[in-house]
Amino acid sequence: MEVGGGASNQRFPKIKIREMKDEYLKFELRETDASMANALRRVMIAEVPTIAIDLVEIEVNSSVLNDEFISHRLGLIPLTSDRAMGMRFSRDCDACDGDGQCEHCSVEFHLDVRCDQDQTLDVTSADLISTDPSVIPVDVAAKSSSSAYDASENKACLGLRQILMLLCLLERKIYRRGIIIVKLRRGQELRLRAIARKGIGKDHAKWSPAATVTFMYEPEIRINEEMMESLSIDDKRSWIESSPTKVFDIDPNTQQVVVVDPEAYTYDEEVIKKAEAMGKPGLIEIEAKEDSFIFTVESTGAVKASKLVVNAIEVLKQKLDAVRLSDDTVEADDQFGELGVHMRGG
Amino acid sequence: MDAQPEPVSYICGDCGMENTLKSGDVIQCRECGYRILYKKRTRRIVQYEAR
Repeated sequence: MEVGGGASNQRFPKIKIREMKDEYLKFELRETDASMANALRRVMIAEVPTIAIDLVEIEVNSSVLNDEFISHRLGLIPLTSDRAMGMRFSRDCDACDGDGQCEHCSVEFHLDVRCDQDQTLDVTSADLISTDPSVIPVDVAAKSSSSAYDASENKACLGLRQILMLLCLLERKIYRRGIIIVKLRRGQELRLRAIARKGIGKDHAKWSPAATVTFMYEPEIRINEEMMESLSIDDKRSWIESSPTKVFDIDPNTQQVVVVDPEAYTYDEEVIKKAEAMGKPGLIEIEAKEDSFIFTVESTGAVKASKLVVNAIEVLKQKLDAVRLSDDTVEADDQFGELGVHMRGG
Repeated sequence: MDAQPEPVSYICGDCGMENTLKSGDVIQCRECGYRILYKKRTRRIVQYEAR
């Protein structure tokens, strides 16, 4: 591994996962800087590809919503996109002249619903018939993969958790239903063909796999113990109360002020102002650690939150590759050595 | 595009009678003489971008 002579800034970022669910991830990113953390966040939101309906061919629509309205709604339905990383963008697909109608770059959906009853009929994402079983609306996928619904059939073995979940689902009226596209009354009909394509959030938000991605700097909180001990218990309490979030508390045994949850601190500086108002400047020092970040990732369900992070790193690496292989990149450039190191390090 | 354009049919706003009009025709219902006619939706497939 040849490093370009002088001092290298190469670092080896570390990730520690705290909590992982299909659609939620909380992790720590350490030993890197804000530029890297923010690049990762932005790539997750706007550049990790997913699949979404992009073209709609409406045959019959006698519903109350107009064609454009329905097309827009169809586009916003999240689809399971585990295949997206390996798919082609329809604009650079050789197999179909950019028509976006071949298996390499598109998935076809059909929808054919007619209301023949007096009751209002909901047309939902569950009515969308996919030609590719790996690309289906996310809520439909969640339904078929979760066993809680099957368990509900034999009521003997229902856990409290499952009962609560079921009640919650009934409450939201999504039990056995998907995302509502339109409602039909007697005689109304909707028949269409839709083509889903690979895309990124930068083109249109419907392709964004992220519901929210945030990171915060980890705070380093230092209490001046000596000064803190000079406060009466009531003063300590009122000082603790001054924080809008529960960061500090009193240890019931030692009566000392302790930090219970440093990450609850929102950098509001209320406790610092309070200390100053009490005539005790320097009672507390709070600094943001420059090289450690706490990420919260929520996925739309198009890809798992964990996969979203992995894909984002992959996209970021591809972008660095694009810079490295660009004709404008001069290999002897000082920055190039640094970039090469980062590429190998990553 | 099409060899022969399909005759366009309209629905009378008063009696509901279906009328076929060609260009140059007076816009009036053949049945009741009402002058407000509604165009029917095309039977062709219409294409939209889902954006």
